[in-house]
Amino acid sequence: MQIKERPIPNAVILDLNGDLTYAHRDAFKSAVETLRQKGCRHVILNMADVRFVDSSGLGLLALVSQNFKLNQGKVSMLSPQSYVREILGLANIPKLIPVFDNEQDAVNGKAQAA
Amino acid sequence: MSTANTDTASKAAAFSTTATVLLVDDEPVSRLSMVARLKRMGLRVLEASNGKEGLAILRRERPDLTILDWVMPEMDGPTVCEQVRQDPDIHSSQLILMTSHDQPEQIAEGLARGADDFLSKSASKQEILARVQSGLRAASLVRNIESTRDQLRIKQAELEGELQSAASYVRSLLPAAGPVAPGIHMSWTYRPSLALGGDLFNCSSWDEHSITFYILDASGHGVSPALRAASLSTFLRADNLRHYMDDSDPARMMAEANRQYPLTEDGSYFTLWIGSFDRRTGQLRYTTAGHGGALIHRQNETVEWLTHSQLPLGFESDTQYKSSAIQVTDGDRVILMSDGIYEAPASTGELWGTTRLEATLMAHRSAPLGEALPALMAEAERWNGSSVFPDDAALLGLEFRL
Repeated sequence: MQIKERPIPNAVILDLNGDLTYAHRDAFKSAVETLRQKGCRHVILNMADVRFVDSSGLGLLALVSQNFKLNQGKVSMLSPQSYVREILGLANIPKLIPVFDNEQDAVNGKAQAA
Repeated sequence: MSTANTDTASKAAAFSTTATVLLVDDEPVSRLSMVARLKRMGLRVLEASNGKEGLAILRRERPDLTILDWVMPEMDGPTVCEQVRQDPDIHSSQLILMTSHDQPEQIAEGLARGADDFLSKSASKQEILARVQSGLRAASLVRNIESTRDQLRIKQAELEGELQSAASYVRSLLPAAGPVAPGIHMSWTYRPSLALGGDLFNCSSWDEHSITFYILDASGHGVSPALRAASLSTFLRADNLRHYMDDSDPARMMAEANRQYPLTEDGSYFTLWIGSFDRRTGQLRYTTAGHGGALIHRQNETVEWLTHSQLPLGFESDTQYKSSAIQVTDGDRVILMSDGIYEAPASTGELWGTTRLEATLMAHRSAPLGEALPALMAEAERWNGSSVFPDDAALLGLEFRL
């Protein structure tokens, strides 16, 4: 999985490319943890190029969301593909990590996308 | 290594444990002279007068080093080299070919046919000593590697034995198929993806009127999820849950399990489905924490999935799990399953899916539960193209005769 860090005002976007699965857990975890340790308070996971999330991937999402909350930070998600959106929905992940369809809404934390 | 150039120094460089050298040469005079030299180096020397005899001794005695004349009756030196390299029992033997004239083409041919080194018949004492020592050094390295490999194999077998024993413990946690209460019959089938499974299920009486049953799935693969699964399975025993609650409300069980099993540091967690059936009312109450594999297959053949979207265990410490209730009627079957069943991928990557699963269930509706579940598993395996699923695959079925 390729992960690109893209700072924007008031948040950092992580552009994820590949599968968010057991095999890629270390890359994902260390990318997000690095941001948290640098004091980032809002990380936006851009899911547009993520094709699949497995059960380990769901656990990682829950874990990073918990860790950010401990620092009064938050995690948001951007534009998951429909299959990924379905997997996230079945596990009720949007309850923990709000999902948005564009960067500006994600930054503002506005009206959750359907 | 010593660069000794006297016989005394040669002896001083003698080999720590007496190494054995096999000398194969058909000329008695040159053989005697070489044997004497090797013995003076402190080596144990075996002799053979042709290639065939040499090969037989090599197989029987496994010398540390074998020195072969090139030209011999019965079987020449290069042929012995080839035979040795083709035999897995002795293929790592160290072989030195001896020739009277060392021409580059001949050396290349000898090496190509399996020799490790060359020795000219006119070589000096010092050169012979150096080549023998070099050959023995290589032999000792090879023996070290082989003995390390053998030890690893033994360790590996021990570890696999441990895993098998852990796996049989995990299997011992699974319920015995058969009647669980008057009018309720249980059946199951189970395929762990590795020796140890992270999916477990059970069904037991809560009190004289009701039964509870569940299926859990620990995320990840291997030993750690299996241990965590065994722990949660023990937690979910009715005699333990009674310490926390006095009724069999699945939502309360789920909330308690959620408090007891937070996310691990590496993000491992459980999905869990719990049902509670009361025979007096015929009502099934159920709740789910991220587990999608539960359905009721009605006597009239319709299938309803018994799921709602709720967080898996440990994602949030204070999740309020809601439960739902349905009425069970005579002949209905409730089936709990690992998501590995309907997410079984074909070689193309396409998943088996709930639609095909439902069609297979329909096709086996008239078969007894004990046959319908294995048939369902077999169909998922056929789709997957292998009897080993990428994830654990468990199926638990209850048939109600009310």
